[in-house]
Parts: sequence; C-alpha cells; structure tokens
Amino acid sequence: MTRRRAAATLAVSLFVSAAAISNSASAQRRGGAPPGPAKPTPHWPDGRVNLGPPPGETGIWTPPGIVQLSVNPKSVNRANPASHLPNNITLEAVPFQPWARALHAARQANFERDEPHTRCKASGGPREFITPYGVEFVDMPETKRIYIFDVGGPHTFRTIYMDGRPHPKDLDPSYYGHSVGHWEGESLVVDTVGYNTKFWMDREGTPHTEQLHLVERFTRTDFNSLKYEATVDDPGAYTAVWTGGFIMRWSPGTEPWEYICQDNNRSPQGMVGTDDSVSRQRRIIP
Amino acid sequence: MTCPERAHPSTRSGRASRRTRWLCAVAFVVSLAAASAQEGHPLVGTWYGDWGPTPQARHDVTVIMTWDGKAIGGTIDPGPDAVPFKTATLDSSTWTVHIEAERPGKGATAAVRYVIDGKLANLGSYNRTLGGTWNDGATKGDFKLTRD
Repeated sequence: MTRRRAAATLAVSLFVSAAAISNSASAQRRGGAPPGPAKPTPHWPDGRVNLGPPPGETGIWTPPGIVQLSVNPKSVNRANPASHLPNNITLEAVPFQPWARALHAARQANFERDEPHTRCKASGGPREFITPYGVEFVDMPETKRIYIFDVGGPHTFRTIYMDGRPHPKDLDPSYYGHSVGHWEGESLVVDTVGYNTKFWMDREGTPHTEQLHLVERFTRTDFNSLKYEATVDDPGAYTAVWTGGFIMRWSPGTEPWEYICQDNNRSPQGMVGTDDSVSRQRRIIP
Repeated sequence: MTCPERAHPSTRSGRASRRTRWLCAVAFVVSLAAASAQEGHPLVGTWYGDWGPTPQARHDVTVIMTWDGKAIGGTIDPGPDAVPFKTATLDSSTWTVHIEAERPGKGATAAVRYVIDGKLANLGSYNRTLGGTWNDGATKGDFKLTRD
C-alpha cells in the first residue's frame, strides 16, 4: 500500500513537473519570456525597416499575453499592461453605434465564447496579430509584396501589395480584405478594404461591417518591439473614426510551426458549455 | 428592379417578364450567398422559419435583412410576391425588433399590412433566432425565424 502510494505521489510529481515545463515553453512561445536587451531597429541595405529577423536568424512577432485594441480593464480577458500603447483609446471612448456597443457587451457577457477564431476562421484586421502563436512578416521587394503569415487559427497568410496599385472596385468581401501598403519613414502603412463580417476585429468582440476601411501602421520601434496602430473607419458600426493599438514583442529563435485547426465545424455550440447542452438527437454532434 | 407578376410567355411582356423573373431568381441566390454567416449587425442575413395563427396553421417564410449603417432594410419572401419592409427598428438595449411591411394590392385585392414584433435570442450563434408576434392584415399569430 505504501509502495503504491509512493508510486502515485511520484506520478503526480512527474505530471506537475511536466505541466510546469510545458507551461513555461508555452509562455515563451506566447511572448511571455523576457525579450532581452533591446537592439536598434534592423534595416535592409536599401534603408527599409526589416520587420523580420536579420539574415541568419529566426524570430516571429507575438503578443505579450493578452492584448486589447482598446483598453478595457473590465474585460473577461485581462490584458498585459505592457502591451498597451501610451494613451491608447479606452473602450468607453470608442464611438460605437448603439447596436455595436450592445453587441460588444453581449459578447463580453458571454465570455467571448462565440468568437469565430476559435472555430478556425481566419482572423482579419487587428485580430490577426492577437493570435497567441504569433505572425511572421515576409518582405519580398522583388515582387513588391509583403506577406503576413499567422500561425494560429487556420494557418493562413495575407498579401500586402506594395506596387502602388489601387484597391479594385466591387471587391468580393473576404476575411483579410484587399491590402495595399507603403512606407512612411520607419512605418509600414497598410490600407485595407473589402472585409467580410465573418470574424471579430479583435478578441474582445469589437464588431465591424462590410463598410470597414482599416489603416494600419506597423512601427518597429526597436529590435524587440513592434507598435501596431489601427485606424477604424466603419460608418456601419461607429459614429466616428477611431484609432487603437498595442505593442507586439519579438520572439527570437522561433519560426512558424505547423498548426492544425479544423475548419467547417458544423457544431460550434457543442464546443462550449456543459455536456447537458448537447442534444444527442442532432444529426451532427461533437 | 421590380420582380414581375405572371404574364403569358408568348407575349412580348411575357418574355420580358420571364427574363426578369430569371434575374430575380439569380439576384435572390446571390443575396443568399452574400448574407451568410455574418458577425456584424445582428439582423443582417437570411432568416427562415414560419408564422401562423395556431400551431397547426403555419406558413413558411423567408426574410432577408440588410443594414447600411443607418437603416435596416428587408424583404419578406423575396421573389415575385416579395413584401418590402416599410420600416424596421432594433432596440439594442433589449434586442427587440419592430418591422412594418406592406404587400401591395392586386386588382380587387387590397394591400396587406404586416406588423412584426420580435426578440433576438442566442445572439452569439451563427443561427440566432428571432421570434414574437406576426400580424398579417387581420390575422394575428406568432413566428420564429432562424438566421441561416
């Protein structure tokens, strides 16, 4: 009996240790680890800011824990204060239309459990950078395009056209919309239209409509920090244009890894709540 | 574009009518595709369900709703007998909806006024529901719609 108890204690200890190691690794992947002393912002030989790793190195951008587009201390998810932009807009100051504010509140009250991202939908707009496993910028000047690859969610990518082309007319709405970009000094400025409404703009439940016009500014303020600012112009959901953002951290030595998220889940309600909420009479059950 | 009443296919107006009906059908299918699975304004999309004065006497109904940033638009039963919304409002403090629509009169048949009052439920779901009272002229009943 004593030997059995000792074996059980050992097993529990091993499990706890393994969980601690796993959590530590997970925290590191999520950008929780100290980034080390900040080096200056890297540049390419032609002077452009390098939003990726210097040649021969690896790294991706990750949110330092939970980040918010607008500061909301009452959120069901507590943001890391280190991620806040100085003087970032507060949730109260966001000029929601009444229905949009009520919808945001309803999503918060529902503990954000209905977020499409958790159903493996692509994360458009700011939500792309809130995915805990990070993003990678791939700058291809020879094609005049910058790609942003995101690791979590459906493991997809977004194209930013840097060749000066305008947005096409009559765009078919999509998760990432149509993005054109240019450099303004040290900042990459990306203008996007043509979004569909199948995603939340951030993890908090900030809504948008197909009228969304988003202007994003990416500024690598030092080697380890990427300032993200998004100007939201959506007369379908807001009464005025507003800007929010957050800071992302460099996660050195990391590369995007294979991440599987099964799309086309026909029973998302079955992913949350208690077993009692799932009807076994349904044609499809989780 | 106005979706036409039925006319004899051998007449010029009948052929034009047939073409327009095809266009209406195509427009309807396109609108279904465009309205699916949205997370923006909670009323936007295609809603299916039924209404009726009793649990036994039910009428299938399809409602398409839109939002342009200022006003809710919509159509009951898109197609040749479509009934356009006259007004629609959403009270987001209670998630209640008030809709008024009118089926135009045909010949000796008088116009029919619809007054629909409902409440949104299961707001976070793709397949949220809208249910309440449905008055179709002098007939009073209830309804339940599910967003596709």
